[in-house]
Amino acid sequence: MSDLRGEARVALAIARKDALAELRGRHATVSTLFFSAVVLLLFGFALGPDSARLAAAAPGLLWLAVVFAGMLAVSRLHLLETDDGALEQLALYPITRRAIYAGKALAGLAVMVVLGLLVLAAVGILFAVDIGGAWPPLVATVLLGAIGIAAVGTFYAGVTVRLRAREVMLPLLMLPVLAPLLLGAVKATAAALAGDPFGELGAWLQLLVAFDVIMVVAGAATYGYLLED
Amino acid sequence: MPQTTIYVSPRSLGAPERRPPSVSTTDLARLFAGSPALAGVSLRVDAARTVALLGSNGAGKTTLLRVLSTAIRPSYGTASVDGLDLGRDADLVRARVAYLSHATGLYDDLTARENLAFAAAMYRTPDPAARIDRAIADVGLVDRAGDRVGELSAGMRKRLALGRILLGQPSLVLLDEPYASLDADGMAVVDQLLTAWREAGVSVLIASHATDRLAPFLDGRVVLERGLVSAVSGQGVASQPPSLPDAAPATGMLS
Repeated sequence: MSDLRGEARVALAIARKDALAELRGRHATVSTLFFSAVVLLLFGFALGPDSARLAAAAPGLLWLAVVFAGMLAVSRLHLLETDDGALEQLALYPITRRAIYAGKALAGLAVMVVLGLLVLAAVGILFAVDIGGAWPPLVATVLLGAIGIAAVGTFYAGVTVRLRAREVMLPLLMLPVLAPLLLGAVKATAAALAGDPFGELGAWLQLLVAFDVIMVVAGAATYGYLLED
Repeated sequence: MPQTTIYVSPRSLGAPERRPPSVSTTDLARLFAGSPALAGVSLRVDAARTVALLGSNGAGKTTLLRVLSTAIRPSYGTASVDGLDLGRDADLVRARVAYLSHATGLYDDLTARENLAFAAAMYRTPDPAARIDRAIADVGLVDRAGDRVGELSAGMRKRLALGRILLGQPSLVLLDEPYASLDADGMAVVDQLLTAWREAGVSVLIASHATDRLAPFLDGRVVLERGLVSAVSGQGVASQPPSLPDAAPATGMLS
C-alpha cells in the first residue's frame, strides 16, 4: 500500500510539473483551444445556417473537435520531455514506469477536461444546443471521453515523441484506436441532449467506462517499454 | 562562489573491501544500426574507486556510461552495478546510479529551484526544502535559483544537473565530460564533488579528456579503443579480453 501511495505521489509530482510548465509556456492550452475553435467554426460554416442541421451535427462536431485538440494536447505535453534530454532523465529516476505513465496521463486528463468542458460550452453557443438541461450526463460523458483520450494519447505520444514524423504518425496510430470511444461519446452526447428517449445513455456510458479501464491498464502495463532504447 | 564542503547524502555502503564491485561487465556489447559502439567489454571496478574512462571520440565511453546508467540496454553480454544485474534489477540499479550526460535533462520552463524540487520528488529526498537549498548553494547557483533554466548558460545548466545528483543517494556516479562548458568556479565545483564522493565511499566513473585535471582524484584508468578495452592501469580496476566465441556477435562485426 505504501508503494502505491509513493507511486501516486510521484505521478502527482510529474503531473504538477507538466501543469507548471504548461502554465509558464502555455504550449498545449492555447494551441488546442484555438484549434478547437477553428474546427467548430469551419464545420459551422460548412453546414450552413440551418439550426436543426447544426443541432443534429453538434455531438459529432463536439467530439471531433475534442479528439483532434486532444491529440495536440498530449503531443505538446510529451514535447516538454524533449527539453535537453529530459525524457531520458525521467526514465533514469528510481521510479516505476507506470508512475511515469500515470503522471503524464493525469496532466493530459487535466488539459482534456478543461478543453472538453470549454468546447461543450462553445458548441452550446455556436450551434444553439440546450446543454443546460442535460449537464450531468454531458459532464460525465466529457469526463469519460477525456480519460480515454488521455490514456490512449499518452501512450501513443510516448511512441512517437522521438520520431521526426511524430505530427503525422500520432493521428495515424491514435485515431483508429479511438474509434470505439468516439462512437460511444457521440452516441452518449446525442442521447443526453435528446433527453435519452430510448434509454440507451447508460449503455453508451458503460462502453466508455470499459474502454477507459482497458486503455488505462494497457497503457500503464506497456508504457515502460517505450522509455527503453 | 560555491561552498568549500559539499554535502553528499550518505547511503549505508559499508567497508569498500566487503562490497561487491561497483561495476562488473562481461563481454558487454552494444550495437547501433548493426555497428558495435561497444564490442565486448569485460571490466571490473571495485567499490569506492574513482576511475577515468579514456579514449578518442567514438571509442565507446559514452555508450558504456549509458548502458551502466540503464538508459540503453546492452545488445550482448552482462553487466551489474553493486552486484545487481542491469537487466533483471534495473529498478534497483537506478536507485544506486546517478548519471550526468551531455544533455542536462532539465526543463526549460521551470526555474532552477523547481527543477531540483521535481528531482527531489522523484528521488523521494527526505527534508527536500533544506536539501535543495544546500544543493543550490553547493553548486554556486544561489543568485540564479529563481530563474528559468531556459535563461541559464550552458555552464549553469551543467552545475544545476550536478546539483540534482546531490539530491539522490548514489553509490555509483557516472560523469560524461563533467568539465565541459564550465568556467573555473564550475570546474572547482566538480573537483569538490569528486572529493566529497571519495570521502563518502561513492564510486565514480568519469569519461573525460581533461586527464591532467582529473589526475589527483583518480584511482585507476581504463582506455577504450573502438569499443574494446585496450589498457587498464591503477588500483581497483581490472579487465579481461573478450571471451570468444561468446562475444562473437559483436567482435565478429569488428573483424
